[in-house]
Amino acid sequence: MKPESDEGAYWIVARREFVERLHDRGFQISTAVTLLILLGFIVAASLFGGGTRFDLGVVGDGARTTGEEVVAAAKLLDVTVTVHGYASVAAAEAALKDGTVDAAIIDDREVIVKSQPPARGQQLLAMIQAVTARERAGSALQGAGLTEEQVTTALSSSPLPIHELRPLDQRQREENAVVFVGVLALYGQLFAYGYWVAAGVVEEKSSRVVEVLLSTIRPSQLLRGKILGIGTLGLCQLLLIAAVGLTAAQLAGVLGFPAGAATAIGWVLFWFVLGFFFYSTLFAVAGSIVSRQEDLQATMTPLSLLIIAAFLVGITSLESPDSTLALVASLLPPTAPLVMPSRIVLGQTPVWQPILSALLSVAATAALVPFAVRMYSRAVLRSGRVKIRELLRAERRPSS
Amino acid sequence: MRAFPGSERRYPVRTVLELIDLTRRFGDVVALDGVSFEVAEGEMVGFVGPNGAGKTTAMRIALGVLEADRGEVRWRGKPVDVGVRRRFGYMPEERGLYQKMHVLDQLVYLARLHGLTPQDAKASAERTLHVLGVADRVRDRVEALSLGNQQRVQLAAALVHRPEVLVLDEPFAGLDPVGADVLAGVLREQAAAGVPVVFSSHQLDLVERLCESVALIHKGRIVARGRIGDLRAADPRRLVRIEVAGAAPEDWYARLPGARVVDPLPDGAILELFGSIRERDVLDAARAAGDVRHFSVVQPSLSEIFRGAVQA
Repeated sequence: MKPESDEGAYWIVARREFVERLHDRGFQISTAVTLLILLGFIVAASLFGGGTRFDLGVVGDGARTTGEEVVAAAKLLDVTVTVHGYASVAAAEAALKDGTVDAAIIDDREVIVKSQPPARGQQLLAMIQAVTARERAGSALQGAGLTEEQVTTALSSSPLPIHELRPLDQRQREENAVVFVGVLALYGQLFAYGYWVAAGVVEEKSSRVVEVLLSTIRPSQLLRGKILGIGTLGLCQLLLIAAVGLTAAQLAGVLGFPAGAATAIGWVLFWFVLGFFFYSTLFAVAGSIVSRQEDLQATMTPLSLLIIAAFLVGITSLESPDSTLALVASLLPPTAPLVMPSRIVLGQTPVWQPILSALLSVAATAALVPFAVRMYSRAVLRSGRVKIRELLRAERRPSS
Repeated sequence: MRAFPGSERRYPVRTVLELIDLTRRFGDVVALDGVSFEVAEGEMVGFVGPNGAGKTTAMRIALGVLEADRGEVRWRGKPVDVGVRRRFGYMPEERGLYQKMHVLDQLVYLARLHGLTPQDAKASAERTLHVLGVADRVRDRVEALSLGNQQRVQLAAALVHRPEVLVLDEPFAGLDPVGADVLAGVLREQAAAGVPVVFSSHQLDLVERLCESVALIHKGRIVARGRIGDLRAADPRRLVRIEVAGAAPEDWYARLPGARVVDPLPDGAILELFGSIRERDVLDAARAAGDVRHFSVVQPSLSEIFRGAVQA
């Protein structure tokens, strides 16, 4: 019966941490706010994103041909132009006035606009001018005696080829965005849930309930249960956010490649687990050496700086996932969670690197847990601020 | 095996909890210096001593919250481990509950940690809260309760898993008289059911009223241990209590040879007598000094026993 209920205590602690925080009003509100912000972003992306859109009115067949050419030219610039045909100039003018179209081409003679447009509209006018200039050049060349064939050859000379150093197609652009949001979320989540572990330890210490608990269960059961419960809640919250985000993005038509996005999210979640377990043990120690919530900020500062540094490296490696800095940072346990996901998704990362990084992370955590448990056990029953140096000194003594 | 005379228990009384040679230092301070005592089944022991004597340290070691540098704690002859300790009930001096948790959830949680099944934990939590008179507050958060009710919940936390032994650190501190009566009643019931109860207290009169035996600790050592009656009988001192109206001490007892003031009273004193002086010599001197309002030969109180033990 004993070993079984021994393990039982660990699960009972984890369950309490999960359930109590799930019912916490602050947690519910912050989850709702996060979801609302995310949905807001997706709605905004579907309204304003997907490149620039214009509506172009045309009157007459010549104008229609020009319009089609503008559409084709615009596509190269990632601008969507929709052509609307009108029977008369008056109809086109009416459409301009009520905003249905941004500009109208009249019989290849002129372009009318409501008023001189702002910068955004200039793009459309520039495209129309470019297309019509080419047509006018063609007519001029034909007038100068060139055959139609010669004119076509002259005008269709291929443009300068553009060579991208790092080609970014639509799919990658999306993954980039997803990973960016993912790293941002991961950063917030590591902070928030690490803080919860520390604050939970302080709560038990300052309310002295820890003495009641430790008369029944071992410090390691309490600590591990707490970390497991809070970490599971963090993972569930991320899963919820990811599921809602993916579904909404797909419904809104923002996402062209949901499978790629889902994979990126999967990596983010995986690294949340590794990162959380690594950091939470340290947060627990930070919590155990103070007796009041007010003192917690100070002891958490080194950890906070570490996470912020990891986040900054993570952001930089979104731009250059194959740099040496990104490579090193993606292998080290403190920085790996915020760097490796972007490298996996965006960079040319050999398979062994994520595997090595994950193994290092697990090994570091496994080494850290018994150490953290010992520090925690020594500090958690003492009142007042415990000096970390004292704890470490006790660590060096074989037994006290 | 031994039995307390006059006890009505149906079973033989035997030692169940043993503290053996407990020693603990904090830096240069010796908190416990070889503390040993035994507690029998159904025995209620008052654990008494001044602040800093080592009461809390000894209790924490008994509950495994703190480790001893030397010595051990045994339960029914075997060293106490986590599995055994789960059947102990403990109330620390500094009260501790999750302030944000609902009363019932909290007790169910603690009962589960002590190894009860979910159903059993819930039933036991409800029953315990009912017995302690806080059944109507089970859905409240602990922080919403009055301090008195929080104390009751704290006691419930020590009792909810039906412990085989109770160790309570200053359980009466902060209780109003009604709360103290409820607690005293609960402790008596537990002891009558065979559960040994050890509690520390500063209120010596209360210990005297409630316990048949005490352990007196001073500077990390047990200075006396046993039934209060036996300790009294073993106290060799002769004490008289005398009150004389309208006579200043220096007029009479301060000048009596062989009498020493143990406890000054408003109109007199408790005196300890030494050597050849007899009780009636004191009475004669008092009558010569003024109107005698009170004269009695007294048994040493617990605080006097304690003082005697410390001086010895």
